[in-house]
Amino acid sequence: MEIVTVREDVWGREVLLGVSWDWLWVILALTFAAIVVHLLIMAVLRKQPRPSAAGKRLTRHDNFDRSFHWIMAISTLVLLFTGVLPIIGYDFNWLTIHWIAGLVLTGAVLLHVIRAVFFQDFGSMVVAPKDLKEPFEKGRKPGKYSLAQKGMHHAMTLLVLVVIGTGLVLFLQIDTPWWDRPNSLAESTLGWMFVLHGVSTLGLVGLTALHVYFALRPEKRFYTRSMISGWISEDEFSANHDPARWMPDETARS
Amino acid sequence: MAAHDVMPDIELFQPITVEDASAIAARLDGAGWILAGGQDTYGWLKDRAKHPGAMIDLAAIEGINGINATASGISIGAMTTLRDVMRDPLIAEKFPILTQAAGRVASPQIRNQGTLGGNVAQDTRCWYYRRGLSCYRAGGNICYADSPEGMNREHALFGASRCVAVSPSDTATALVAVDATMVIHREGREKRVPAEQFFIGPAINITHMTVLRPGDILTHVEIPNTWANTESYFEKVADRDVWDFALVSIAAVMKTSGGVIDDARIVCGAVECVPRRLRSVEQALSGKPRNEQTADAVAGLASGGARTLNHNQFKVPLMENLVRRALRT
Amino acid sequence: MSNEYLHIGKNFVPPDIYGKVTGKARYAEDYSVDGMVYARLFTSPMPHARVRNIDASAALAMDGVLGILTADDVPAVEAPNAAILTNEPVYVGDPILAVAAVDEKTAENALKKIKVDLEPLPFVVDPLASLKPNGPSARTEGNVYPSEMQNLQWSAEDLNRFQRGEEPTGAAPTEWSYGDLEAGFDNAAVVIEESFVTTGYAHMSMEPRSVLSYWRGNKCYVHGSTQSQSFVVPFLAGMLGIEQGDLVYISEYCGGGFGSKISAYPVLGLPGYFAKKLNRPVMLRITREEEYYIGSARVGFQGWMKAGFAEDGRVTAVDLYIVQDLGPRRTGGDASSAGGAISILYQPQAMRLRDVPVFTNTTPRGAQRGPGQNQIAAIFEPMLDKAARELNLDRLAIRRINAPDSSATLNADQGPVTSAYMDDALALGGELFKWSERVQRSGQRRGSKVTGVAVGQGYHSAGASGFDGLVRITPDGKLHLHSGVGNLGTYSYASTTRAAAELLKCSWDNCVVHHGNSSLHLPWSSYQAGSNTMFTHTRANHVAAMDLLTKMKDIAAQTLGGDAADYDIADERVFNASDNTRNMSYAEVAAKAIELGGAYSGESYPEDIHEVTQRAVTGIAGSGLVGVAKDKLPKRGTAPGLAVAFCEIELDLETGKHQIIDYLAVGECGTIVHPQGLAGQLRGGAVWGFGMASLERHVYDPQNGLPANVGYYQTKPPTYLDVPSHMGWAAVDKADPDSPVGARGIGEPAMGCATAAVMCALSEALDGHLFNRTPVTPDMIINHISDGPQATSLMAINTF
Repeated sequence: MEIVTVREDVWGREVLLGVSWDWLWVILALTFAAIVVHLLIMAVLRKQPRPSAAGKRLTRHDNFDRSFHWIMAISTLVLLFTGVLPIIGYDFNWLTIHWIAGLVLTGAVLLHVIRAVFFQDFGSMVVAPKDLKEPFEKGRKPGKYSLAQKGMHHAMTLLVLVVIGTGLVLFLQIDTPWWDRPNSLAESTLGWMFVLHGVSTLGLVGLTALHVYFALRPEKRFYTRSMISGWISEDEFSANHDPARWMPDETARS
Repeated sequence: MAAHDVMPDIELFQPITVEDASAIAARLDGAGWILAGGQDTYGWLKDRAKHPGAMIDLAAIEGINGINATASGISIGAMTTLRDVMRDPLIAEKFPILTQAAGRVASPQIRNQGTLGGNVAQDTRCWYYRRGLSCYRAGGNICYADSPEGMNREHALFGASRCVAVSPSDTATALVAVDATMVIHREGREKRVPAEQFFIGPAINITHMTVLRPGDILTHVEIPNTWANTESYFEKVADRDVWDFALVSIAAVMKTSGGVIDDARIVCGAVECVPRRLRSVEQALSGKPRNEQTADAVAGLASGGARTLNHNQFKVPLMENLVRRALRT
Repeated sequence: MSNEYLHIGKNFVPPDIYGKVTGKARYAEDYSVDGMVYARLFTSPMPHARVRNIDASAALAMDGVLGILTADDVPAVEAPNAAILTNEPVYVGDPILAVAAVDEKTAENALKKIKVDLEPLPFVVDPLASLKPNGPSARTEGNVYPSEMQNLQWSAEDLNRFQRGEEPTGAAPTEWSYGDLEAGFDNAAVVIEESFVTTGYAHMSMEPRSVLSYWRGNKCYVHGSTQSQSFVVPFLAGMLGIEQGDLVYISEYCGGGFGSKISAYPVLGLPGYFAKKLNRPVMLRITREEEYYIGSARVGFQGWMKAGFAEDGRVTAVDLYIVQDLGPRRTGGDASSAGGAISILYQPQAMRLRDVPVFTNTTPRGAQRGPGQNQIAAIFEPMLDKAARELNLDRLAIRRINAPDSSATLNADQGPVTSAYMDDALALGGELFKWSERVQRSGQRRGSKVTGVAVGQGYHSAGASGFDGLVRITPDGKLHLHSGVGNLGTYSYASTTRAAAELLKCSWDNCVVHHGNSSLHLPWSSYQAGSNTMFTHTRANHVAAMDLLTKMKDIAAQTLGGDAADYDIADERVFNASDNTRNMSYAEVAAKAIELGGAYSGESYPEDIHEVTQRAVTGIAGSGLVGVAKDKLPKRGTAPGLAVAFCEIELDLETGKHQIIDYLAVGECGTIVHPQGLAGQLRGGAVWGFGMASLERHVYDPQNGLPANVGYYQTKPPTYLDVPSHMGWAAVDKADPDSPVGARGIGEPAMGCATAAVMCALSEALDGHLFNRTPVTPDMIINHISDGPQATSLMAINTF
């Protein structure tokens, strides 16, 4: 099965058209399979006792970060649905919503990057060599983010930056309230933009599905709660994190 | 590049029932091509710009050719030729606007072969697209017409969404004006779609001009009596007086009492990818007398929201002038 | 006077009509020979490119594919001459190679499998883009062609001035002039100065130029479509690299040429080379799209003109500057011809023509009906009207005062004409059209419509000399008229032979016209272009008939006694004038000629006839009484073809559409030889003239060099409903003294006068507004009326 589709440019030369969307079903199938396999494994494995949510509350994510996350999440989901549904045959007026959501995502990502790089502990999200031992050393606990969380974030970062970068290039090529279509890209370059936009979209479909799955998993649900309400309990903290590497503040109870 | 001009190898199905036609078309999916009068078929095929594997010829199907009075209006079989539509006394009596529109399609030779269904379902005439370039409408990812120096004289003022092609059908404009309904058969079931919703623009789907999808067979066009025997006006402005597609066209129907317009439908063709209802004009007409002053007062509303391209600015005053002409007695 | 004649001035049924009406006429594409294979062209998708590689392996491996022909298989030509096939295509549609297969479908399928790797090169579709500093050049060898390839760039200031429509300052490689231009303008009461654009557009001949070719030994047979017949032979033989005697060229019918099929064009020779390579007959079918690409087009003008007028309306001076859009190939002098037309139609006391011939990567240009003359008529005639308005003169009167008569001079060398009676044409037309009455309602409004009444003029030189005639009487009494004239659709191949039948007083039923096949012993002929044939070949037929008559009288004298001078002819008999019992039938004379041999039966012939005629005479030698001669009759100057058109239009100011309510054309072309033929020219020319004025144009996308108006739908020739159902015609019918029959040609001015009349009428209807551009389309009119800007910049060409 081909990865890309091609077309002829205005002068009859073969150029890229975009990713082959048959791969969407492959990605969905693989993701679904992965989820099912993980579900079964987790069902079979001995269940660990769950830490309690009661007691002292520690701040994991503050207002800004939670807002960023949900703005990015909603805009990403809107982008995915408005981008993919027309391709699989659902007709509706998708383009304007798509680029508005795209601009929202771009803005949010930009602010998040500035904040994370210059005003937060950037290193806490980066996979370091010593993190690689984490799955193999029993009892070894991570700092704020586990290897899996860091890995997911790296992958998301790459895909989101590619999809936004290519998305902005494509955005510049359509009519908007501010400019007319310039048709300024060489057709081969345009093809690359669509291919990369499509490949990163496919990746995002899979990763988003996995991310949502894990967010709903019983043993991870407190993280999801912390992204909504901001806190994890002391118990949850001790069970999952190394205080030497990350020590959150106590939350002011409302 | 090759300038092809020979029919390719292609299968031909000649079903005798709509059910069979629909089943074949659904099974073949995108590889099937519905053949009515063929006036928008052979050019594509001989030029090798479209590559269906099979034609599904509707000519042998009974019951979809002919004009009949119904309890609530008129039903026209989709395979009725434009010539027959144009000459039909019942249509001429109740909906002269359709008589005029059908009579302005293409040329007498084309009207002898072309069908009403084919005329409303026909593909757009953007010359870049017709040349076989793989633009958005052809499944590609670019538009050549809407570009800084694109040769887009015949293209759209409204509703562009990456593609700026226009609706080419004259009868479509009239049918939207009279609130017609498209009757579509699909695998044993019937769908009824109001004319205005039958045509879709690039924002909704950039590769199709209508809601028809593989497996759908347009069988009838039904016109309710809503606008029967009302005042009407049809005009098509084109470069030449025969054969050419419209630069701009207008179809207007009006219910009047004592010279005052109670309700109106004003539809313009060739300014958008679909026949364009001029709702702001219709609303402004309510309660006004049908005369020169009203015409001048509302004409400017016709072009509200127009976004001109390099070469089609003339369509703005032309639209307004056609509205004027439609509203003058 | 026409009514004294037997044939001249009378209608007849040209022999080719039967085939055309019944469908039995065989055009090149209708022929089929045993073993014939079908060829199709692969043409360039790019406006300018270099072929890096051709991979036809997949195509050649297909069942039924016989081979390909590339530029390497045909003689190379020096740029910018037209090549049969090329490795450096210079326009979208330029043929790169041909593929042949056992049937058309296989050939089409094979085309898809051929991979041609092209390197794109810089291109232009507007000459001004090439003239700008560092502008791209349409050809690698140079961008202008005055008489050889050169590079020419203007300064930014020159270009800006030109684009603003101001008096041009850019260098012009070609120039001619006469008289004192400055004095001419100084003495003018009114000076009109306008910039203008006339866009080129495709000929779009109805019959695409398919060709069938095959070899029998050394002989090459070519079935083609050309305007000319005998004239093609030496050029086609040269193209194929064979002796003229080894070529059999058949072009009995030509479905329109209009200047694009005058003689041997490149594709005419392609199947010959292919047939030789494959050792099979090759039919190359040209599609409608390909006919657009290779079927020629009119030269475009971007120009500027200044004209001075005296108080009485006399044109005192004209300064004309033209940038020519030549397409990518060498072509003739439209600009110079434009200057020539002005010099004769208006007799300016002083003139200057400057000309910049620039290449573009658009379809190749060539002569198109009135090349140069008709473009300038479209532009100058409305300027003339503007002068008339400013001088408060009637628009017909201003033309009459400038009208050329038999003392007229023309061109740079201000040479003479054979005769001219333009004032007669204007007066006759004015009367028949009721000009003074109609002009009263010019400008009148009726609802949204406004009337425009106008008059327009056209010119083309219309006669040549020095060609051969060949006639023969056989012992069955038939007069054989050998016509080397091509059948471009004007019937002149037959009507010109009537001059011979006339002189010999033969009944037309006893005449046989031979034409359309070089093996039918046809004499050397002029090309059928430039409106020349009627003059040229009535003369050639006349001198051949004179030769035959002389010989006939000789034979009669020899046989029946007395002197040749004693004899006369009547009822197809030659008789002694003082004793008409001494007579012979033509049949008997023919039999006697065979007996006598020598020059009588064609066994010997005059030294000065052309090689083609010599072969023709040799071919019929001994079959009857032969009359053959080269036309050496005196010709004192240019034989002009002149035409005037009157029209009344109604323009709808709300839609920009106009209707031609009434039209009358008057031909000033000497004696009327064939009334129906003349009517056909005046009306047919008018139809195309209407197209030039308001419909037809090249449109190229400058971003990619693609043509927008390929095919009959987009080229927009006028349809039945775009022309008036009645078009009147008349002719001055005054004999030209330099022709024994008195006829001159009319084909081209018949179009130019119509274009001019409509352009003037549109201007009249819009209060004298000059668009200075052809065509004037509804959108331009709407933009003008609504005070909106025009969509194109002032001097842009090849655009909507």
